[in-house]
Amino acid sequence: MGLSLKINQIREFLEETLKILFYYKTRVIFSLSGVALGILSICIIITTIDGANKKAYEIFETLGPDSIMIFGGSERQRMARERVNTLTYKDAESIEKIEGIYNITKAYSVRGITFRYRDRKWQTNVIGATENYFDSYKWNLYMGTVFGRQDMENVEPVCVIGYKVYEELFKGEDAVGKTILIGKLPARVIGVLEERGGAAGGPNIDDRVIMPLSTVTAKLSNEKRYLGVIRVKTTRDVDATIEDIKAVLRRNHGIVGEQDDFTIRSSRDILQFMSVISGSLFLFLGTASVVALVVSGFVLANLFYLTIQERKKDIGIRRAYGASKKGILLSFLFESVFITFLGGIIGILLSLLLEGVFEKLFDIPMEFSMKVVVFALLFSCLTGTLSGLKPALKASRIEPIEAIRG
Amino acid sequence: MITLKNIKKSYFIGERELPILKGINLSINAGELVILMGVSGSGKTTLMNIIGLLDKQTEGEYFFMNRSVDGMDDESLAMFRNEHIGFVFQQFFLLPYLNAIENVLIPIVYSKKDIKHPRDKARQLLARFGLAERIHNKPSQLSGGEQQRVAIARALINDPDLILADEPTGALDSKTGNEIMELFRMLNNDGKTVIIVTHDPKLAQFGKRLIRIEDGTISEDKSN
Repeated sequence: MGLSLKINQIREFLEETLKILFYYKTRVIFSLSGVALGILSICIIITTIDGANKKAYEIFETLGPDSIMIFGGSERQRMARERVNTLTYKDAESIEKIEGIYNITKAYSVRGITFRYRDRKWQTNVIGATENYFDSYKWNLYMGTVFGRQDMENVEPVCVIGYKVYEELFKGEDAVGKTILIGKLPARVIGVLEERGGAAGGPNIDDRVIMPLSTVTAKLSNEKRYLGVIRVKTTRDVDATIEDIKAVLRRNHGIVGEQDDFTIRSSRDILQFMSVISGSLFLFLGTASVVALVVSGFVLANLFYLTIQERKKDIGIRRAYGASKKGILLSFLFESVFITFLGGIIGILLSLLLEGVFEKLFDIPMEFSMKVVVFALLFSCLTGTLSGLKPALKASRIEPIEAIRG
Repeated sequence: MITLKNIKKSYFIGERELPILKGINLSINAGELVILMGVSGSGKTTLMNIIGLLDKQTEGEYFFMNRSVDGMDDESLAMFRNEHIGFVFQQFFLLPYLNAIENVLIPIVYSKKDIKHPRDKARQLLARFGLAERIHNKPSQLSGGEQQRVAIARALINDPDLILADEPTGALDSKTGNEIMELFRMLNNDGKTVIIVTHDPKLAQFGKRLIRIEDGTISEDKSN
């Protein structure tokens, strides 16, 4: 048998399959859309989880694996987004003395302040921070410069603005050296931070303004005793350091056996948090997509099953003209897999199309990859095989004489 | 070309045996044009199905071109049918989603024969049967006679040794039916072996040999 003959047969077979699908288009469209929806949700799951993981890893990378954050207020209060001032400057001094601790950043933020530049207004938070803030966040500048120790000591009214704030107030103009109003305090913009993009579901990380801590406490918050956040890095084991910090703070705050009035997070906690998010996403969307695929599989199987009766003569004539039982089985199975494969491709295309929409809508970063395509096509072929198997078996068992007699 | 030795076929309804063929002995040579005639229930269709390798006898031996075909499995039977037999049915059985030429090409999909340029061959066959203008029509756009001609072209595309037709004129008016019978006669004149199964006595005149089946046995076998 020549190769060209074989190729000819395969081409003929493919053409026939396409014609069959076109002839039974209602069935095909139903099955196709079901599978496409199922595959779409699978694609969204995978891209979202990948995106969330990537984001988590990025955060981990920027914070560094050795950094620890200490917030005022208990875990429960933080969950409720309650703001409780319990961390003091004295606490910071005590923590600084713990073995292995270096690069301590102190910060206090004031929420909901209005910024004005010419006729433009924008409301966001001001973070008062020590000068090592930018360094410990590994945050590069888009333009200008950052403030230093001198500015801290002189209580300079200067600020570094996040990219979002820059866009809102300056709309792309040069901002460095311009004076803006922060509440009632005129301050000079000395730098603009590079854009980082929103974290998964969280607030926009670029929507912030950073000023020297001394300036904020003296001129905006009037808060000389408490700090909002203390960030440290450690050369020792992170867990051991956390235990030490806990002990110091409990002693300073006079806590015995009760609930802590502070919260400590390491960058590992962030990774864990993200994995919990992806876990629940996986569970929720995973269930949805499995249900969608199972339902469309059933629809496909049933519609397919129904058409077998209609196609009895078709099967009979093919059997008479040389198709074996196996041949019939394979061609029906191929037809079913072909439909779901097509559905899979449509699902993938839809997910590519909707990726941008989802990102905007839910602020979830998505990471499309080859892995998604492989997974989606694998799942769609599996659906096709499973739902096509029973009808195909039934078709193959039809005897030609029975089929021809009608 | 085919030899049947004491072929018996029974169906079983529960415990009861229902004999359909009661010992058929028959030999058909290459180049014959045979009319297999019998009333409905005589067993002629069962005999045709056995000759066409679509059904298996309960007893007896069947040789096709001096080769026993009794022990063949499903796969080899399918290939054997594809290679050696072209079928024509009363209801044409064209596939509704394929046009005329595509219907003719169906056997090619399963064929192991090296048919050169099957598409050209299909076109020539259709043209020879007066359907040159109709090759891209769907079965629903063809008349009964035209559909049966397409079916005959399909039976010929793979160069079979035997054409087996089951009531080929049964769904056609008598004028069209006669045209189809003339077509079979023409194919036979070209050297094809043709067996036509029918209940219609008027078709007897078209054959070179008439075999009459009655109650599961051959009651008459004459050549004219």
